[in-house]
Amino acid sequence: MTPPEHECLFCDIVQGRKSADVVYSDEHVVAFWDIRPARPIHILIVPREHIATLNDVPEDNHILSRIGQAAVKVAQKFGVADVGYRIFVNVNRGGGQVIFHLHTHLVADKPG
Amino acid sequence: MTDCVFCKIIAGEIPSRTVYEDDQVVAFWDAHPTAPTHILIVPRKHVPTLNDLEEGDPILCHMAEVAKRIAANLEAARNGYRFFINVGPEGGQVIFHLHAHLMAGNDFGMMIIKSSIAIAILLRKIKKWIFGK
Repeated sequence: MTPPEHECLFCDIVQGRKSADVVYSDEHVVAFWDIRPARPIHILIVPREHIATLNDVPEDNHILSRIGQAAVKVAQKFGVADVGYRIFVNVNRGGGQVIFHLHTHLVADKPG
Repeated sequence: MTDCVFCKIIAGEIPSRTVYEDDQVVAFWDAHPTAPTHILIVPRKHVPTLNDLEEGDPILCHMAEVAKRIAANLEAARNGYRFFINVGPEGGQVIFHLHAHLMAGNDFGMMIIKSSIAIAILLRKIKKWIFGK
């Protein structure tokens, strides 16, 4: 649950207040193009629920598995599921995290 | 899987530097680390890639939970770390037994800042070279 005074770019995107190039969405996550893609395919998979970092995911929360499932579907949509892709989560500043709403990067080269 | 190196490590047939284990996963130091901290978190059951996980399988949640616990106990990982999974040959996957990497100590945040600064300086030099002062 996002408190009303909370300011988060990814919450704004997930709730439709800011636009993004969405490639996949379901009841748990939204996936959209990174605005500064580091690879030919660079998608961010973001939980609808605001969780600041991977360290803040409760032990009984299944969001990581849902993110993983979404990643496979996104990879299939872009035709890179069999060729190969990478998913990664940066955790805190030392891990390269810039936006403190948990998100997973999916990167790949264009197939063929 | 009889010819899988990770299955052999899990079965104790190949030695490894284990840092954590439970009934679902084993975590051990990567034999060829590319960061000061580089640990692999490997499910005991053999699943070749992320693509092969059955819908609803919670193992990825548990792998991330284990990464959190390991990072909390490792000085190098307390400032931050990266948790990633390579999928397929072009994704950098070498061993086809699903596994996650926990990497720390490279200060990925500072790497991003330093590389951004280096790129900005380079672009300014190129601009100066092309257009003069």
